Formats: sequence, structure tokens, C-alpha cells
Amino acid sequence: MSIVEKLNSPVLYGICGAIIGFVALVCVVFLVRAYRVGIRLGMDKRKLHRVILSSASFSVLPSIGILLGVIALAGALGIPWPWLRLSVIGALHYETQVAQAAAEQVGMKTLSAAEMTASGFSTIALMMSLCIIWGMVLSIFFNKKYTQKLGGSSGGKTMGFADRAMTAMFIGLVSAYLGSYLGDFVSGGGMLAFRGNWMPLAVAAVSALVMGCLIRLSERKNMEWVESFSIALSMLVSMAAAVLIGLMV
Amino acid sequence: MDETKELWERYSRTTHLLGRVSSILVLAMLVCAPFLIGSYLGAYPDLGAAGKAFFSVGLVWVVSSVAEFLIYTPMLGSGGGYLAFVTGNLINMKIPCAVTARDTVGTKVGTKENEVISTLSIATSSLVTILVLALGVAALTPLRPVLQSPALQPAFENVVPALFGAMACKYYRHNLKLAMLPLGIMGLLFILVPSLTGSTSMLIIPSGAIAIGFAFLEYRKAGKKKEENKT
Repeated sequence: MSIVEKLNSPVLYGICGAIIGFVALVCVVFLVRAYRVGIRLGMDKRKLHRVILSSASFSVLPSIGILLGVIALAGALGIPWPWLRLSVIGALHYETQVAQAAAEQVGMKTLSAAEMTASGFSTIALMMSLCIIWGMVLSIFFNKKYTQKLGGSSGGKTMGFADRAMTAMFIGLVSAYLGSYLGDFVSGGGMLAFRGNWMPLAVAAVSALVMGCLIRLSERKNMEWVESFSIALSMLVSMAAAVLIGLMV
Repeated sequence: MDETKELWERYSRTTHLLGRVSSILVLAMLVCAPFLIGSYLGAYPDLGAAGKAFFSVGLVWVVSSVAEFLIYTPMLGSGGGYLAFVTGNLINMKIPCAVTARDTVGTKVGTKENEVISTLSIATSSLVTILVLALGVAALTPLRPVLQSPALQPAFENVVPALFGAMACKYYRHNLKLAMLPLGIMGLLFILVPSLTGSTSMLIIPSGAIAIGFAFLEYRKAGKKKEENKT
């Protein structure tokens, strides 16, 4: 059996599937507990349903993007391991970078099935696991103290500036990405040449435009439901625009 | 009133217990899996090479993880925090998802309601990802030609711009003044140093710090105005 066949064997599917199954079970437990306590606290059932619906619809498209990450990595690492990494703990932008760095350390020129060895794979797999566990480690030791200090478990009180700070942090995050698209377009093809990649900027603009229309629509009477689908729909339309632009350019 | 307090304290205690136990178990599984797979493949991980790789790229992720923990835990609450760090994909999915859910129902960070909403949102999002990936992996062979067709690639290459365009509209709308400063600085920085586009994630923290700093100044100014109006 070749290394690629072994990496796609039922044994690996079994190991990875078991871990994913356990994490899914944890998610279900947290979901049910949060729903029940929400009801007992007197929260509106319809609000809770809206949150579940909007979160589910919001997550479908990015999940398809993540699936593409699985496909991209499957060529070198087989299907089960990238499936595990991207279902649990991993992040699309992280996996390839760490896998490539680990591959270089085990003597591979590139991350590819042609150069893969058993030792190389298990080392890469260990690296991918070790580099990104720290958020989880910090949660184990400090989540309780940190959230209690912030007032998370004391309940009732709002946090004044903290809420505004979170919105600001998110604006900072979005601005960093939009700034990078702008910089890529303006100077990506030479300093101030305006010949760089304009596709991300165009896609972001279409998405913002569609989102604006949907927000307006959701503000009308009896149209609040639109809000649950607004982000997913904006993304879908702008991604379709990317396909159209790609066909035309 | 006391009953609600007691209920909430019991819920919080169990959330931390479950969160810690499940995180420890997932951690153990993830670290042990490469060794288990190594025993099946006939070669264990090369610890020397893993150590070298960790110092070349891993340390960056340690710093990034600490920053993510400090920034996102207050936003996600305790239950959402445990789940998000176990299930991953924070920036591109869990955070926007939790923030959108929070805005949909209008809860505030640090309240019981926000803790419930955040946990519901992250758990749902994680389950959807697990389901989509499981279905996708099951159908990978017949689906691969469609998903990898060159015509569709621009769509999937632009998932993140599509997400941030929509989020920008949502957040800039009511905070235009606040958004202009980080957007202007980041835009200028990337225009003048275009090579930074490959390290955008590293600039999230400074961009966020600029926005928070400006928000704090506005907040203080508004507070002073309120005080003046009182007197």
C-alpha cells in the first residue's frame, strides 16, 4: 500500500472521524444547554430561533470555502487529515503555512504527495496540531478568571466601554482587510500604478452594496426576517459577481 | 430574582467544567493523533524537525493565539470562548457569526443574554461546518470537478472579501467617523508597502488598537459632555 493510499485509508478516516464526532457532540451539548437556559431566563424563543437560523445560514458559504481548503490540502496529505484539521480547531489561512514549514524541516522541497514519507507526514501532522493549540490551552487555564473579571458571569450589567471597544475592534479587523485590498489594487502592480488585483475590492464593493439594499429591506415592516440571510445572500451575490467578472476579464 | 441568579451561577459553573474537560480531551486527542497515525504508518513524528519547525513558524501562532484569546474571549463569553477555540476558524467565521447574532437580537457584551446568544451562534456555526465538510468529504470525488472548475475559482478565491464587504456595510453604517481612521491608515500603509498584503492578519491588532483608541477618546468626550449637561 502506497503512502497516499494509507493516508486515505479507512483507519485514518476512523481516527479523524472519531475526533470530529466528539467535537460535534460537545457542540450539541453546549447548544442545548444554552437554549434551555435562555428559555428559563425568559428570553424570547423566536429570538433564539432567529440566532440559530442566521448563524446556520451565515456559516454555509464560508464552510464551502473551508471545504475547498480540504480539497487543496488533500492532494498532499490525503483527505482525512485536512478534513479533521479544518472541521476542528484549524483555520483556512493557517494550515497550509504550517504544513509547508514542517515539510521544509523534514527535508521536503514542497508539500506534495510525491515527496511524502510516513515520518514526514506524522511530523507535519504533529506540527499542525501543536502550533494552534494555544488558544485552547489558555481557555482551559484562564477562561473562567478572565470572563469573571470582565463581568461575564456576574450577569445583568452592561460593560460600558467594553461593548464599544468590541465594535471598534471589529471595525479595525474589517479595515485591515479592506485596506489590504485597496493597497493591492493601487500598488500591487507597481507603486501607485493602479494595475494590481482589483477583484477583491470589486467583490467587497458588490457585497457591501447588496448588504446595504438588504438592510434597507429588513427595516421595512414585516421584513425583519431578511436580516437573518443578509450576510449569506450578500456573499453569494458578490461571489457570483466574481465568477461573472472572471468570465469577462 | 434569587432563583435566576442561582440558575445562572449553576449554568456558569457547569459551562466552565464542561468547557475545560472537553478542551482537555480534544487537546489530548489532537496531540495523540499524529502518534497514533504514525504507529499505523510505521514511523513516529521526528521530534527534532518538529521542534525546529515550531521555532520557525510556531512562535508566531503562539503570539497570535494569546492575542486572539485576550481580544475575542470577552466578545464570545465563556461558553462561546471554549467552543470557538476548540472548533477554530475564528476570524473568517466564528467571530463575524457571533457578532452578527449579537446584533440580530441586540444583546450587549457581558450580559447573560449575550452569553446565551454567543454560545448558540458558535455551536450552530461549528455544527454547520462539521456537517458541510462531512457531506463534502463524502461527495468529494464526484464534487471535485465542479468545485475545482476554473470558472468557479474566482468565487471561492474571494470568500473573504465577500464577507468583509458585507460586514463593512453593516459596521461602517453607524460608525463612519470611527471607521475612517483605521481604514485610512491601513489603506495608506498597504499602498505604500504593498508587500504587507501577505501579512494582513498581523495588522489586525494595530488596526484594532487604532479603532479602540479612537473609540475611547469619543467615549470619554461623550462622558464629559454628559457630566457637563448634568451640572
